[in-house]
Amino acid sequence: MSLETAVLVGVMFSVATYLVLQRSFVRILFGFLILTNAANLVLLAMSGRPDGKRGPVVLDPSAPMVDPLPQALILTAIVIGFGVAAYLVFLLYRLFLDQKTTNAADLYEEPESNS
Amino acid sequence: MNWPVAPILLPLFTALAALFWGRPGVGRRSLVAGSAAAQLAVSLGLVCATLEGRIFVLGLGAWPARFGIVLVVDLLSALMLALSTLVALASVLYAYAESPTRAEHPLRAPLTQFLVMGINLTFCTGDLFNLFVAFEIMLIASYALLTLEADDWDIKHAFPYVGINLFGSALFLSACGLTYALFGTLNFAQIALRAAPCADDPRLWVLALLLIVVFGIKAGLFPLYYWLPNSYPTLPIPTSALFAGMLTKVGVYVLLRIFGTVLPHELAFAHTLLAVMGGATMLLAVMGAIARNFIRGILSFHILSQIGFMVLAIGLFTPLSVAACILYIIHHIVVKSSLFLIGGVAMRLNGTDDLERMGNLWKRTPWLGALFLCQALSLAGLPPLSGFWGKYLIVVAGLEQAQYALVAVSILASILTLFSMVKIWNGAFWTGSDRVPVRTSDWRWRAMTAVVAGLTCVSLAIGLGAEGVVQIAIEAAERLLDQHAYADAALGFLGKTAANPIP
Repeated sequence: MSLETAVLVGVMFSVATYLVLQRSFVRILFGFLILTNAANLVLLAMSGRPDGKRGPVVLDPSAPMVDPLPQALILTAIVIGFGVAAYLVFLLYRLFLDQKTTNAADLYEEPESNS
Repeated sequence: MNWPVAPILLPLFTALAALFWGRPGVGRRSLVAGSAAAQLAVSLGLVCATLEGRIFVLGLGAWPARFGIVLVVDLLSALMLALSTLVALASVLYAYAESPTRAEHPLRAPLTQFLVMGINLTFCTGDLFNLFVAFEIMLIASYALLTLEADDWDIKHAFPYVGINLFGSALFLSACGLTYALFGTLNFAQIALRAAPCADDPRLWVLALLLIVVFGIKAGLFPLYYWLPNSYPTLPIPTSALFAGMLTKVGVYVLLRIFGTVLPHELAFAHTLLAVMGGATMLLAVMGAIARNFIRGILSFHILSQIGFMVLAIGLFTPLSVAACILYIIHHIVVKSSLFLIGGVAMRLNGTDDLERMGNLWKRTPWLGALFLCQALSLAGLPPLSGFWGKYLIVVAGLEQAQYALVAVSILASILTLFSMVKIWNGAFWTGSDRVPVRTSDWRWRAMTAVVAGLTCVSLAIGLGAEGVVQIAIEAAERLLDQHAYADAALGFLGKTAANPIP
């Protein structure tokens, strides 16, 4: 279980890095979304193997409980990631409206007037 | 004692009040300015109290320190709080002097207060995940400020800033997860106790490298700094002074805290890496500054170059060099913010900040020239101004460690800094044809200069009273490196249980 999660996290990080380095805005956006989720998965994996443990709700005090702290952390991280993703969507949309392109390479091509 | 929470709650309530107040006006302006002054007063009070040897610990929700989040304010945190609130106050007053109420963007004041709240929470917190949350508060406010009053050109340069910080946040989150897996806790004090025996563990090395990358992005270290010099010049002047003074220094502070208090002191390879990265940053960034020809661009590259000095001092990692780093932070925050503000006044007088088209300022406004000269020479490190003492201590610490190459690089970088400051001086103040206009008819530049003069007085006081400031910095460094005292204080908070009720 831990090994599979580790491989999955590795694949997600590499896919996200690949996408962020692309030119299309949509790919960059998806790259960041996958990146956030890969980091969240790392956090979740830190609560250890869930086999035979119950969820962090007190119903049956006899069975061992899964560590609840990473789940609290991940909730915070998801909320923050959601807010930042919404901001990023709007930033990219504004860039598209200003520059009339969805290709990140076009943005920085022209000679800068001020430097 | 609940005082550590005041520097966080005051900006929060001010931001909310300013949001609901509505249109900017004299009333709202005095509310924000009054709150900024109160934050400065509280922070100075914390500095005085911690100077006597106290460490403030506040367990949020009265949970025992092992389970809940604690806020810990020691001398270094209190000093950083005082600096951040000082710069915030100067930035607020300068913004008021710069534009009339009807030209003020209604969201700028609340967002600035949210930014200050994030910065202050970073300095107060004693918990790694809480540090992540503080970073996010700070970053989201800074994204919003960066794009709030931006035109097409500015937005284009905001994107790399947002992108690299998103990447940094994801890495920081992973680092939090790995720390929890390794030590089973996120509390600084408990990590310090549990990490002490495993300095030889390769997993700890990986964690240290990951943290260097995360906070190196934030501080603007050598391979990770390309986002900064293009994005900072797009900000409005008062906001850029706050960003330039505080945001990168937050990264340096966290590096100090992590390597000084949290991780074991035997991680020699990480310290060497930091020192080399610092050396590379100071040299390459100062060359970037020489290549630029507009004031804010030059100053933005100088932020990075100075970060190199601080990180070099952390990398040398002796009590003296850590004290030098703290002294350098104190000097740099004040000087760099006031240089950005002086650049703003000069821009207003000449109507541009392109050095080719500026000039004649010394003839028409000698006081502004004197302020600039004072701060620019301080940045380059001429005695007896404040920058000299920090650089002197770093050089002494470097020579003690026999790091001659890095010392040579730092002296070369100082000379090049002086060179590019002289470039601004020549371009904007000393020369200029008669056709260059200097608009002194407007009274506002006088008020703006008064704010800068206040900051310059603080900086001069640091330089002339260097003896006392060096003593404080040495004291702060000793407390920072004393992991056991920190752990005892932070974990001594037992919370409100049946066994130990809080009176």
